[in-house]
Amino acid sequence: MQDLYVGTVLAGLIFLSSVLSIELGLSAAIIEIALGVFAGNFLGVTALPWVTYIAGFGGILLTFLAGAEVDLDVMRAKFKESLLIGGISFLAPFLGAMLLCHYLLGWEWKAAQIAGVALSTTSLAVVYAVLVETGLTHTPVGKLIMASTFVTDFGTAAALALVLLEFNLNTLWFALISLIIIVLAPRIAPRLFARYGDRVIEPEIKFLFLLLVILMYFAKLGLSHAILPAFVLGLVMSRIFQKNTQLQRKLRVVGFAFITPIFFLNGGMKISLSLLWSGAALFLVLFAVKQITKIVGVYPLAKRYLPNEAMYTTLLMSTGLTMGTLSSLAGLEAGVIDQLQFSVLVAVVVASAIVPTSIAQRFFHPHHVLVELQESSRPALVEEAAEE
Amino acid sequence: MFHKILIANDGSENAFRALEVAVDLARRYGAELHQLSVEEHLPRYAASLGEVLEAQREELDYFDNVAEKAREIAMRAGVQLECHIIAGHEVETIVRFAEENRFDLVVIGHKGHSRIWPFHMGSTAAKIADHSRTHVLIVQ
Repeated sequence: MQDLYVGTVLAGLIFLSSVLSIELGLSAAIIEIALGVFAGNFLGVTALPWVTYIAGFGGILLTFLAGAEVDLDVMRAKFKESLLIGGISFLAPFLGAMLLCHYLLGWEWKAAQIAGVALSTTSLAVVYAVLVETGLTHTPVGKLIMASTFVTDFGTAAALALVLLEFNLNTLWFALISLIIIVLAPRIAPRLFARYGDRVIEPEIKFLFLLLVILMYFAKLGLSHAILPAFVLGLVMSRIFQKNTQLQRKLRVVGFAFITPIFFLNGGMKISLSLLWSGAALFLVLFAVKQITKIVGVYPLAKRYLPNEAMYTTLLMSTGLTMGTLSSLAGLEAGVIDQLQFSVLVAVVVASAIVPTSIAQRFFHPHHVLVELQESSRPALVEEAAEE
Repeated sequence: MFHKILIANDGSENAFRALEVAVDLARRYGAELHQLSVEEHLPRYAASLGEVLEAQREELDYFDNVAEKAREIAMRAGVQLECHIIAGHEVETIVRFAEENRFDLVVIGHKGHSRIWPFHMGSTAAKIADHSRTHVLIVQ
């Protein structure tokens, strides 16, 4: 009966999240985490094995999508600057949070490393939505911020994989299978999609899911985590993915309808409100650490490459959501962090999606970039008005 | 009196009523008529880039249809309508667009697509009238 109860509540919450997301103009993910907190704390919903499995798959699917959505042309055009800004955007909070958690807060090394990874992230989706709203997507500022975010994402995925790695003989199998999939998938997929694609039974989606499930299986056997190969697989398939808009859409529809909501609800369900309340001071410390280390690391480089938009860039690089939640959840499920640490880390991650973007938009919005863009792209409109 | 008129159109019934008034004014004064639609419903704090891209595509499709319908209405009255779709906060974007492009009249419906926020924050039309240095005509 518990299975059916949990399934029914989760289905209801998934539907409610999508409706609230549309009405409030907030992402479904934020609402799913909030409703997950409600379900876990007040409705007695627990993460049954099937929920944990689907949630784990949802996390890997989101990681694959993060890799597949990387715009390689933007990366190539801004390679040096993005490598520096994105690299330091990962490294500064990773080291800062890890050292603080271990030496000042007394966390175990592994737990401190998970905190470092969870707080090192930058959310491409949060950043992109802000850039679209401000009209900066196609400006040099916007492109550099996006390219830097890809680099930070890669750093997070690699660091999480290393932190959770516990070497055994099967780890070699995991590495080998991952390598084979990453090398062969971009070669096989176009032929497979050409022959079997574009059908209602969706062999393309099933093929991608199969690859991700294989990665998860061998990662488990090898006492590791599939996040890194899933991200790299997405990266090597990004051109195929971006050329095939139907595939993109179908994968998102399948993922967002059921799989990724379970991931975020599951994350929310594992947050304990009472523990979070007791860890309020820890929340403030970790939130401050993430923001300060991002500023210390990113601001000087942003000042060098984007002198007029340095603080705006820094604040956008301080956002986080999916990868931070994923890292915290992976740490909790591996037994590396406890529920208090998990609750506080996810709360900090969610706050970092909201607070820096609001400050950036309110106080550091680079209006001048838009005015320059508008003047160069639509001179006729302004000139006609001037003649009058 | 009016040389450049801006109609803010979110695709609602009220906005199309405002469009009819704007078209009539543009015809009477021989004014240039532009339409601005603001994409403001992109999901904030999204979990994946795809969520934002899909929402953006849906908004663009919606506003493309709004623009097509508006052009037909203007054309029937013998007025040429230039349409713009910009992402951003509705009030801020309309006010800034009108000022930067030196429009001398903004026409807007008194009530657009109300979601939960507008009930708390007051109507878009009232806020535009408050913040704009351009003449604003609110159509009931």
